Amino acid sequence: MIEKYIQFVGEEEIDAIVKLAERLQDLSILHVNSTVAGGGVAEILHRMVPLMRELGLRVDWKVIKGDPEFFAVTKTFHNALQTGVGEVPKHYYEIYEKWQEINANELDLDYDVVFIHDPQPAGLVKHRRRGIWIWRCHIDLSTPHPEVWGFLRRYVSQYHAAIFHIPDFARDDLEIPQLLIPPSIDPLSPKNMEISATAVERVVKKFGVDPERPILLQVSRFDRAKDPVGVIEAYRLARRHVPDLQLVYLGSPAHDDPEGEVVYREAVEAAGGDPDIHLLMLPPDSHYEVNAFQRAATVVMQKSLREGFGLTVSEALWKKKPVVGGKAGGIKIQVIHGVTGFLATSPRTAAHYTVFLLREKKIREEMGTAGREHVRRNFLITHQLRRYLMAVAYIAKRHKA
Amino acid sequence: MKLDAKSLDTRGSGVPFKFYTAYYVSTYSRRRAWTLRELLDGIKTADKNTLFHHMFHTIRAKHLLPPMYTNDFARWVGEEVGDEELAASLSDVSGAEPATIEDIRQELVSILEPVADERRGRSEFVFVGMEPVVVETKYVAYTLADFLDLIEMVPGESIIYHFVTRRILEGVSRNDFSIWLEKNFGLTEVANALSRIAPLMYNSEEALREAILTTLKRWLL
Repeated sequence: MIEKYIQFVGEEEIDAIVKLAERLQDLSILHVNSTVAGGGVAEILHRMVPLMRELGLRVDWKVIKGDPEFFAVTKTFHNALQTGVGEVPKHYYEIYEKWQEINANELDLDYDVVFIHDPQPAGLVKHRRRGIWIWRCHIDLSTPHPEVWGFLRRYVSQYHAAIFHIPDFARDDLEIPQLLIPPSIDPLSPKNMEISATAVERVVKKFGVDPERPILLQVSRFDRAKDPVGVIEAYRLARRHVPDLQLVYLGSPAHDDPEGEVVYREAVEAAGGDPDIHLLMLPPDSHYEVNAFQRAATVVMQKSLREGFGLTVSEALWKKKPVVGGKAGGIKIQVIHGVTGFLATSPRTAAHYTVFLLREKKIREEMGTAGREHVRRNFLITHQLRRYLMAVAYIAKRHKA
Repeated sequence: MKLDAKSLDTRGSGVPFKFYTAYYVSTYSRRRAWTLRELLDGIKTADKNTLFHHMFHTIRAKHLLPPMYTNDFARWVGEEVGDEELAASLSDVSGAEPATIEDIRQELVSILEPVADERRGRSEFVFVGMEPVVVETKYVAYTLADFLDLIEMVPGESIIYHFVTRRILEGVSRNDFSIWLEKNFGLTEVANALSRIAPLMYNSEEALREAILTTLKRWLL
């Protein structure tokens, strides 16, 4: 399987991965997260763990368990950590600790290297007996809820190291080494693999979108942080100059997120019955459809006000689409202003850059090509795999030849 | 002194050149700057890996940053603070041999110190370090001919490692290629010619490789 990536990253990169893996052959490695399916962490582990095993590494992946009450607590923590606000009842901390203990008793954590992903299982470190423990944070911790972060920090401080997506999310109040590893996309996954032009046309038409007219696309949850109403406003401003422009906002229904329904209704209201605004709700596993829409798009937007990493940007760049992105989180390292797209700070600037790209086909193509190259050099799964291996080598003090 | 083609097959004093390559773990340095004064403080106190990252990562082709400025400090001052004059001065810091990381730090400080004030960037400057993870390659040169051929073939990261990283981060006085050519073959002039190549003039491994190869060919072929 790993050799299939040579076509994207070259033989040298794969050779280096193999060499690094050889250095870690004697170590047992465990990944722990909170869900086996759904969400970016599970998605990447489903592909990363088999690749690590193929390299001869002894890697396991375990998922913590919890009841609905525990997951309500961790969801509250998650939102509070990302937004800095929220009401967190005192007994939530006890529920969190109770489930850490239950999981620590039931899971075998006796490994040489343990990656704990995100806050949900972070407290397991209290029950560590041996090995190197690394906390892999996938969320934006730049302005966390002080009390929740204060609680979590007591656990995180016990790790040997933490890994964040970008430096903006790293913490000055953590003494442990903090490594920076961006997430990645898999060029062979259904969401990113090559598909035929006919398939693209078929999928787009199926949802009532005209593939012959320009398409402005945003793929995001209906979440205020993704600014769907701002996207619609930007589309309206752009359409004054490009009357046949269509907007596709591709999201998933969020049954576990009551606010998602509210935000969706706000977007419907903002759309005001415009037949060229397509607010689509697709099941979470609609990877092929997302792939098709990203390929059909003329310009992709990711106008987030807050963002973790925003891998939809890399997905679009990989398909040679320039991206107009919000100046938030990981978007800033994917969209290089004026090279792979533009960073916008308001609906007006987003519209301005969108119109520019719609007008300038040659620049659009050049930026699309640069975007794919940027992803090819930095944000493919093999890069993340190599960086994980390097992180282990570095923390285990095996980084010298 | 030019060599004749036959002498390219000699093994000199018999020490082979083993090519290594390096990839880099990025680390957060727990320093940030919003103002020029904070940038100066950060430069004064950052460890060598952090200075190395911000000065030299642009040679590595991992980025598509426009090559207007040669280092991150200059880019931040130019693009975020908007002081082109100061940015040009910072970009002018060469990093060529025989400069050590401390020499580079002193030069940056001497440029910034007289003008560092409370002027702010539109976004903050985050100090990031890079720690090399060194990997052995399959390439070994025994003769000058091997060396010449392999310079064209080894991974780009290997060129950077031997020409820049070892000298700057590991405190080796010169680039590895010059050291080997001089010690193993007594080729002082070739070694000096390589040492005159200023790495920050190049925006990718391939561009640096090309400069090294051109210099070697000029002397050896």
